Amino acid sequence: MLTRRFFLRASAVAMAGVGVAPPWLVRAAAQAGTKRKILVAIFQRGAADGLNIVVPFFEKLYYELRPTIAVPAPGKANGVIDLDGRFGLHPALQSLKPLWDGGHLAIVEAVGSPDPTRSHFDAQDFMESGTPGKLSEDGWLNRALPPAGPDVSPLRAIAIGTQLPRTLHGSRAAVAVNNLEQFQVRNQGAGSILERMYATTADAKLMASGKQTFDAVKMIEAIARTPYVPASGAQYQGELGRSLQQIARLIKADVGVEAAFADIGGWDHHSNEAPQLTNLLQQFGNSLAAFARDMGDRMEDVVVVTMSEFGRTVKEDGNNGTDHGHGNVMMVLGGPVRGGTIYGGWPGLEPEQLYERRDLAVTTDFRDVLGELVSDHLGQKSDQVFPGYQRGQSIGLLKT
Amino acid sequence: MRRFGFTLSVSVLLAATLVALGVADGRFEQTLPVDRRIVHVLNRLTFGPQPGDLEQVRRIGIDRWIDLQLHPNRITENPIVERKLEPLGTLQLATWQILEKYPAAPAVLTARPPSAIAFSSLPQQQAIRLVNCSVDERRTMLASLEPDTRRLVLAGAPAQALDGLPADLQQEAAAARTAEQQERQKELRRLMPPLNELLTPDQIRTANTGTPEEKRALFNTFDADKRRLVLRALPLQAFTNLPEVRREAMAASQPQPFVNAELSEQKLYRAIYSNRQLEEVLVDFWMNHFNVFNGKGPDRALLTSFERDAIRPHVFGRFQDLLLATARHPAMLFYLDNWQSQAPREDLPVPPGVRRPGLNENYGRELMELHTLGVDGGYTQDDVMAVARAFTGWTIYDPQKFAEFQFNPAVHDRREKIVLGQTIPAMGGEEDGLRVIEILARHPSTAHFISKKLAQRFVADDPPRSLVDRMAATFTKTDGDLRAVLHTMFSSPEFFSDGAWRVKLKSPLEMVVSAVRALNADVTDTFALAQRIADLGEPLYGKLEPTGYPNTGEAWTNTAGVLGRINVAAALVGGQVPGVKVDLSRFNFKNPAAVAGALLSVAPSPSMLSAVENGVHGKEATPSMLATLVIGSPDFQRR
Repeated sequence: MLTRRFFLRASAVAMAGVGVAPPWLVRAAAQAGTKRKILVAIFQRGAADGLNIVVPFFEKLYYELRPTIAVPAPGKANGVIDLDGRFGLHPALQSLKPLWDGGHLAIVEAVGSPDPTRSHFDAQDFMESGTPGKLSEDGWLNRALPPAGPDVSPLRAIAIGTQLPRTLHGSRAAVAVNNLEQFQVRNQGAGSILERMYATTADAKLMASGKQTFDAVKMIEAIARTPYVPASGAQYQGELGRSLQQIARLIKADVGVEAAFADIGGWDHHSNEAPQLTNLLQQFGNSLAAFARDMGDRMEDVVVVTMSEFGRTVKEDGNNGTDHGHGNVMMVLGGPVRGGTIYGGWPGLEPEQLYERRDLAVTTDFRDVLGELVSDHLGQKSDQVFPGYQRGQSIGLLKT
Repeated sequence: MRRFGFTLSVSVLLAATLVALGVADGRFEQTLPVDRRIVHVLNRLTFGPQPGDLEQVRRIGIDRWIDLQLHPNRITENPIVERKLEPLGTLQLATWQILEKYPAAPAVLTARPPSAIAFSSLPQQQAIRLVNCSVDERRTMLASLEPDTRRLVLAGAPAQALDGLPADLQQEAAAARTAEQQERQKELRRLMPPLNELLTPDQIRTANTGTPEEKRALFNTFDADKRRLVLRALPLQAFTNLPEVRREAMAASQPQPFVNAELSEQKLYRAIYSNRQLEEVLVDFWMNHFNVFNGKGPDRALLTSFERDAIRPHVFGRFQDLLLATARHPAMLFYLDNWQSQAPREDLPVPPGVRRPGLNENYGRELMELHTLGVDGGYTQDDVMAVARAFTGWTIYDPQKFAEFQFNPAVHDRREKIVLGQTIPAMGGEEDGLRVIEILARHPSTAHFISKKLAQRFVADDPPRSLVDRMAATFTKTDGDLRAVLHTMFSSPEFFSDGAWRVKLKSPLEMVVSAVRALNADVTDTFALAQRIADLGEPLYGKLEPTGYPNTGEAWTNTAGVLGRINVAAALVGGQVPGVKVDLSRFNFKNPAAVAGALLSVAPSPSMLSAVENGVHGKEATPSMLATLVIGSPDFQRR
């Protein structure tokens, strides 16, 4: 088995063959092995139904309000996986149970945004920018990175996909990569001239993207030369699996990843929710579990956090589905996590306990969760990442 | 060096911010010179200039050319369009014909299995007892059934019916389920045998890797039945450069994706070849505004009619007619779930496990947020519910077979509704929805929201307020006459200003089609081209979320985008996109400035030209290299 240090040296040498090894690669090679904290954010687009993901099976009202789509209590056929006698995982999330049992998975209940919008797009923008109620140009995860020092990698912040999500927009360089294997300039001769063209254009936006592109291409070409086999037989599933596998590959290649982003769409289940949610959750759970397995010891430095723009109505709608709601659930996963616990106050499901008498109320601001990860894991000041927001009492998600 | 890069990018960012503030430097007040105006209208009203377009606009005159584009029926259509669309048989079919000819899946996959039929044929009392009663009661009930029936009922019963039953019954259920699945697998194998049961190893090799001629010859040796089975079993890559065989294969193996693939082909052929360019740009704009996702159930097969019957006829018409056409179209009714939305009936007793009729807010919300008022347009959650209630009963008659609009009074909410302060009296029936469409289409927020979105597509990401206000005034004065609103925009000084000049980043569709047009390529198949556009992040008809694709540049300027565009440029010019032939002989012996000028329709930027001139020397300066550099350049990404 190759060591990381060896790999980087080899890459630096290999690249020296085609041109000049970029200084950052040489530096990265020298620094291989130094520990770096990494935060991975996963966005479930479309408003995932938190109440059917982590199920409050102790609530009689849950079953009364969702006669056709409630997940049965533990012990029943297709019942939830009991976590603490009150809450349970949807049965399609079986693969996350070992992480919970091992204390690596924490769950925050009734978490969300103080903003009342039920627009997917506003709510996603607010959550991604980290400024509920007003839109900012840059994203919270971009602001959570320290300013670029001399050793910063062009791959410090990566999003898997064809577009850079708002979460990673901002002044720190961030890269969208759709597919590592194909992240290369096909026409080498044209490549260097185009690089020059983008470096000198008066078009500021394209110049910035161009520079990031060509830097990232060099680094990724070096990584993609070695075929990737996930460790420990990890089995990724679906699109999210494909994304997480690429993130794992980049992290394990020690190219200086500090923040990563992946998303998974298709949660907007206004009708016929149960079978669709089961399918998505299988992909979701299996991919997260595969990521943890593939990363192995490296999970010691990694925290994964999942979020979705808002929850869904407590009561099912007229079509065996649910409409746009408010409070939701977040998962926090990784070596530094104090897992095996449900965090966040439970507001209850009685009509007067619901938000606008229809949705799960929010008892924990999503910025309390993200802020804690920013400060305790990445070591950055959370009030600069979430301007104007005074964090509440510490949740205690991470080991100290 | 690095520090220099950092300060440089900060100052560039500052400059960009100032430009984004727009009016600050008065760029929307500076008029474009005449030669730029011609390029500008071509960049904005078409999918990009093709050779000869500049001269044509100059000859006709800009104002008259715009007027013609606003009245496409006065433009003689390019005969190539008709020729390209002729083989696409589904374009003219009514939805019921499409559904009949191209069913969602073979009958063996959609037919309900005998077990499900057996379970649902039980008398209702028995079915309810089987789901809800104690283990003993269920056992007694099951024992009362004929053995054959019991086996099927056990196989088809939901999980909770089996919960707690003794092992012998559980085993019987499992065995029955397995037997049924095996039977189904066998039937599937008979209907869709794998390739190695159909062909010899040699034939399989030819079918996968032979030349197009070899493949065609091989397929022609089969009778009709075998040919269908073989084509269905082969992967689509086997039909590269055999578009007519690929269509035949896809129609057999994936009937509904095939219908949508024909629609995509149509979209690209029209975008590339139509003389009525503005109409095509607008069809794309409004299809995106009223986005419907081809991955949601039967929508794949409904989109053909949606574009042809609901969008296309109205892009120069009244907004209210367009809005109504989309509201009533089964594609939209299905996509945003309104077809299932019913008056809430808290009073109705329903047996357990049976769903209680109720409201679905999805369409009501997106109708206001995305289609008309805009998210800040002044509506509340109460308005969302009132609108949803008004549209209850707007549904689809038999979505699998006919998929036609139908109003079902039985599920309509008959009570009074208050929408944006206006009362819709009780008992309005189907009229309620029409009232809502009228209220929304005439609302000042809608006039503003639609005007701004059009200005974002045609003028600048952040269009000047003065322009949007004037467009909105035209919208209101003319009761939403879209041609009049476009006319206000195209005759405005802001449209022809320095602030609008080449500030729009091309979307992937615009980038690829404009490259094909600039290269004057001969396109005989658009399948691979559509795949390229999808790889750049804009699969045609494939946007899952109802927002549609971004109308502004921010989303498309990122590393994956830049790299993808550079590679698409090389592939197009290098003839690596099957179905797209590029003849570069007109660039023989031309210098970089001339090639760039021809492909960009304007002189290249000095930085681009110097990179090319310093980078390519002597023999390397082939037409192919130069064209690759131009199409991949920052300059070409703007329109």
